[in-house]
Amino acid sequence: MECYSEQICAIFVDDELPLDEAGRLRDHLATCRRCRELVDELRIESRVLSESLRELPEEAASPDVFSAWRMSSAWGDLAAMAAVLALGSIVLVVIDELKVPQALEWFNPFSLNGLTNLMFNVSDYFAHGGTAMLTEYAAVVGGLFLLSLLGGALLLGRRPRLRQPGLRLLIMLLALSLPSFALERRHGDFVTVPASETVDDTLAVAGNTVRIEGVINGDLLVFGGTVEVRGSVKGDLLSFAKRTVVSGSVEGSIYDFSQSLDLDGQLGHSIYGFAQSLRVNERGHVGEGVVAAAGDVNVEGEVKRSVDIVTSSNADVSGTIGRDLTMAGVNLTLTNTARVGGNLSARVHQLKEVHIAEGATIAGKRDIQVQERKSRFSQFTRSRFYFHQAIWLAAAMLVGWLGLVLFPGFFRATTQAVGSGWLSLGLGVGVLAGAPVAMVVIAITLVGIPISLMLFPVYLTAIYLAKVWVGAFLGQILVRPAGATKGDWLLGLLIGLLLLTIVGFIPYLGGLVRLGVVCLGLGAFAGQLYRASRPVVTA
Amino acid sequence: MNAKRNMAKETQPRKGETRQMEGLDLESVLERARGHDAEALGEIHHRYVRRVLGLCRYMLDSRESAEDATSEVFLKLQRSIDSYDGSIPFPRWLLRVAGNQCIDVLRRRRRERQVIVEVEDGAAVIEATSSEPSPLGTVIRMAEKAQLQTAIGRLPENYRVPLVLRYYSELSYDEIGQQLDLHRNHVAALIFRAKQELRRRLVHGSK
Repeated sequence: MECYSEQICAIFVDDELPLDEAGRLRDHLATCRRCRELVDELRIESRVLSESLRELPEEAASPDVFSAWRMSSAWGDLAAMAAVLALGSIVLVVIDELKVPQALEWFNPFSLNGLTNLMFNVSDYFAHGGTAMLTEYAAVVGGLFLLSLLGGALLLGRRPRLRQPGLRLLIMLLALSLPSFALERRHGDFVTVPASETVDDTLAVAGNTVRIEGVINGDLLVFGGTVEVRGSVKGDLLSFAKRTVVSGSVEGSIYDFSQSLDLDGQLGHSIYGFAQSLRVNERGHVGEGVVAAAGDVNVEGEVKRSVDIVTSSNADVSGTIGRDLTMAGVNLTLTNTARVGGNLSARVHQLKEVHIAEGATIAGKRDIQVQERKSRFSQFTRSRFYFHQAIWLAAAMLVGWLGLVLFPGFFRATTQAVGSGWLSLGLGVGVLAGAPVAMVVIAITLVGIPISLMLFPVYLTAIYLAKVWVGAFLGQILVRPAGATKGDWLLGLLIGLLLLTIVGFIPYLGGLVRLGVVCLGLGAFAGQLYRASRPVVTA
Repeated sequence: MNAKRNMAKETQPRKGETRQMEGLDLESVLERARGHDAEALGEIHHRYVRRVLGLCRYMLDSRESAEDATSEVFLKLQRSIDSYDGSIPFPRWLLRVAGNQCIDVLRRRRRERQVIVEVEDGAAVIEATSSEPSPLGTVIRMAEKAQLQTAIGRLPENYRVPLVLRYYSELSYDEIGQQLDLHRNHVAALIFRAKQELRRRLVHGSK
């Protein structure tokens, strides 16, 4: 009998041959060695195919493996930052050696021209809208700063997404400042790019009201009161405005440090936001995800991928989220129209603050965790609390003592400067709110990035030292007004710190006092720095 | 804001429920899922999301669209679970639903081109020419599984889809035929050609 074709054998192996035909083939196999071998081979082939397919493709691997990888990406961010620092320092040396082309002189903060330009730009920013924001920022920045630390830790701990955005931001800042990169600057009270206009470069704008109706082919960088993007931005949007409204389209990502961000239009990539209020309105569409720390978050439109948010009050979802929704905050509401294509994870203070409507659709698991707010008083009953406070106090004392030994004049003078009260407080508020903004502004110039990164630890250190100076000042008033010896100064510091610590635990008032202390101390420090940098004039 | 909240009939998630679910057998989970129990649906997602994503990843060309399709399968599950009658094992049923979802996605793209090109002249039987590499059995033992997976992923859509439905979802020729609107003979021919193509690529790749 003639042998069967390979395809018939394959169908037989798949158990798909009609019964009678399969019977005939089986009979044939009993007599034909060649066909028997073929069928055996085909069987192995089918089995291997099934097995290989069963082992999921690498990308669909377990989420645990994935998160472990993400965890390590935080180190990637640090490495990137270190690399930028290193690169920055090399560039600094090179810039020192080379002559910066005349046209780019304004970019170089080390030249007189560059410095005045930079100062002009910064003051221009504050003059045009910046000052209007300042008071609001002062209130918001303090809280948000802490929130971002908490939020950052939370996001890092849970699902670090910072690698890409962090890198992108760095790359963008670098790209913005690369000498070869064309950058157009505009400023004024009312800056508008009319619908008929196309800007081929990256556009940097400062103004009270900024309206973009035309097309920006590069990135858009805005400082101002109100920013409206009605036209289209082909690159990224980086906004430091009081109010940002995007009703047109942004093809890249939005990096937002506004008080409020409203997305009514189309966004190609993601929102990285740090705002008091963040809304993706009904017509809003986010091509990728949302990562934000904000007061209120409202998603009425569509977000194609995941939403990761830390909120200080409400998160409302009535639109569509393509993947996971991860939130930490006070209140979460999903209405009947809400759709979440992945898992829902929430960390809230109370279960009753989570409202999920019956009609809301969640494809994945719901993981609602209640983080009990630590009672103010229960902690006082634990010995660990006192241990922590003692360490904290000892650390502050040690820092104070070190400061006094290393920089005796400066430390004493700063302590005295706290006494200028309102002046220090006002200056401190300005520094607290203004320094982060200034650091970002400085970072926008290439050579400014390392400076900005160096300023940041100084800023943090100054915030820490603030309480030392204020504590020492308080102690001096209370104990020995004319305390002149090192011992007196340290005793004063101890008493002052103790007092501040105790007052700091009074509900509400404590928070205000702490903020006041930081502002006072920062102001005194800034004032003293300024005085120290001036030549001594003898009367 | 408050009005919105009041309008929505609220369900409070119950704490600790998730852990209970993990121990439950599939039957009980399915039973509760049919009653639209959110926790049960979440548990099903937890148990099968990788299987479904794996299928979608093989069926569709990008991770992005595979993830989209996976989300869509589980979102629709809240309604479609009513139609599961228990006549076939649940994982098999779910993979069939997922397969349909992927085919829908491919069809939507078909406005420009065919998903499965018609098999010419009802080629129910195609003779293997002598120049064709022999069955994968021998080739495959040498090939790495990852290599094989990549090769499958790179097959043209009209070969890849039936092959994946057959060996990943373990559907019968008839079931595949139903999903793809093809006669079972066409399905058999496509799967056979897919394997031949795979052998050819692996043999050439390993050389």
